[in-house]
Amino acid sequence: MTWRVTPLALSLVTLAGVILSLAVLTARADLFMAAVPLALALGTLAVRAPAPDYAVSYAISSDRLWEGDTVTVTVEVTARSAIPFMELLEPLAAGGAQVSGRPRAVMALRAGQTERWRYDITYPVRGVHDLGTLIVRVRDRWGLCSWERRHVERRRVRVHPRPTPLRSLPRPRRTQTSVGDYVAPVYGEGLEPGDIRQFAPGDRVRQVNWRASLRLGTLYVTQQHRERNADVVLMVDTLAQVGTASTTTLDASVRATSSLATAYLARKDRVGLIVYGGLIDWVRPGSGRPHHERLADALLRADVVFTYVAKDLKLVPPRVLPSHAFVIAVTPLLDRRFTQAVLDLVARGFDLAVLVVSPVELLRAALSAAPVDQLACRLWTLERRARLAEIRRHGLPVVEWNPAQSLEAAVTGLDRRRYRAMAAR
Amino acid sequence: MSWLPVAVLALMLFGMTLRVAPYEAVLEIGLVALLLVATGLATPWRWPMISAACLFLTNHALALWGTDAPVDIVGAAVFGVALLFLLQLSDLGRGMRRASVGAGVTRSLLARLLVFAVMTLIATTAGMAIARPLSAAVPAVLAPLLATAGALGVVTALALAATGAGRRARAGPSP
Repeated sequence: MTWRVTPLALSLVTLAGVILSLAVLTARADLFMAAVPLALALGTLAVRAPAPDYAVSYAISSDRLWEGDTVTVTVEVTARSAIPFMELLEPLAAGGAQVSGRPRAVMALRAGQTERWRYDITYPVRGVHDLGTLIVRVRDRWGLCSWERRHVERRRVRVHPRPTPLRSLPRPRRTQTSVGDYVAPVYGEGLEPGDIRQFAPGDRVRQVNWRASLRLGTLYVTQQHRERNADVVLMVDTLAQVGTASTTTLDASVRATSSLATAYLARKDRVGLIVYGGLIDWVRPGSGRPHHERLADALLRADVVFTYVAKDLKLVPPRVLPSHAFVIAVTPLLDRRFTQAVLDLVARGFDLAVLVVSPVELLRAALSAAPVDQLACRLWTLERRARLAEIRRHGLPVVEWNPAQSLEAAVTGLDRRRYRAMAAR
Repeated sequence: MSWLPVAVLALMLFGMTLRVAPYEAVLEIGLVALLLVATGLATPWRWPMISAACLFLTNHALALWGTDAPVDIVGAAVFGVALLFLLQLSDLGRGMRRASVGAGVTRSLLARLLVFAVMTLIATTAGMAIARPLSAAVPAVLAPLLATAGALGVVTALALAATGAGRRARAGPSP
């Protein structure tokens, strides 16, 4: 706690000096009397008051938020000794905006009294934000000296990208052994009817197809397709990004990845993540709510780290990228190293789809309507179209998504492209 | 509304001087001081308010000196209290600007100011009671010298109280 004389005290000393000088110069006794209140107030500085005794507690309503959500901060001050004037301030870090309440609080407390200060902060963009650093300043009863203290009670708020609900998703070609939502080609326990065959010992009576059995004179059973889950690996390109500070291609990619992860996990699939950039980060495929939080945390860390080093997917362990996994690459296609990595996966026989986040539309929104800018955007669009066509020639299903438009439409288009690419092969 | 008591105090200081000497020059200096108060209320700066206080004070001293008005001890004490409150309230008002103000702040502030005003009145009366018999004992030739020495002593003591307190705080252990 730092004790200091306030600027007000120094102003009063100056003013007292001026009064007394004027009193001497004008030889007016009443002016001496005008200096008495100032001298009395300043005289309190000679006796140092004891430091204020108080306790501050800091609480937030939630430590995990979606983009655009609000967190309520509650600061509670309990005074153990009387506090004539207390100022509280929490400097807000970039990324957050106060939506209700005031950025500072002033309170006067009696001994034993408790007072609360509440305000709401909203975070429009994903990220990890630290809260809980308060600057507390207590003034004495005349405002001539103050005690300052930095109260640190760190609270971390994780703001996750808000997932878009997706009803239709690209369907994985290969399924795994666990129970899920996809109809597998293999027969066994399930709901979807498949072929019929002759009754064999061990078959259940309820599987008997009575219509076929009566027609053919011997017992036949209906086989059922098993319902299985799939491994889906989402690969996010963090090699480069474009856009404004609030909306970049990486933000859009992360939002799309989060939406896909949420939708696939809801279908009981195992979802993995590879953040492919200057630093490669990954999460092994898994399912369930804790795994969803693991994926969300990994997506929060996704950021562009510049490097000349060409990353290789051989670094990724096979458990993270299982051979039967369905890989969805989310990329703005700004760096050729990512294209190379995707083509490498195709060559290794992976079931793969590419969702390309269009950087042109993001940039066009940030640029002026000047003809030169618009011309540059049109040229860039043409260049990218040629590049996408080149990638499609390798048999890759690629769909371009404008972040301003629906992700659902782009994802549906991705499934269509995959079937077309498969038919072409 | 933290500007309202400051504005009232400024008008009071202006009115007190104008009551002593209702001249054009006094009015003009007072208006400049009021303008400075308005500037101090509208901006986060501290200097306009201190300048306004100095201007009010100089204007008042000149008014008293120029008109050779009779000595008014209570009026002078009220003027001093008003000056002090002007600076204090403007400083606190700056602290309360764009802040969420607790329920007890205004109440406790009013109580403190009232106590202080009463204390000042008592101190002034006591001071006058002591000064009256003493002044009779002091030779008239030495009076200006004594006044100057007293004024210097008081200012030095106040400055030492302020700076010495700061030095003690830096040297001593933090509580």
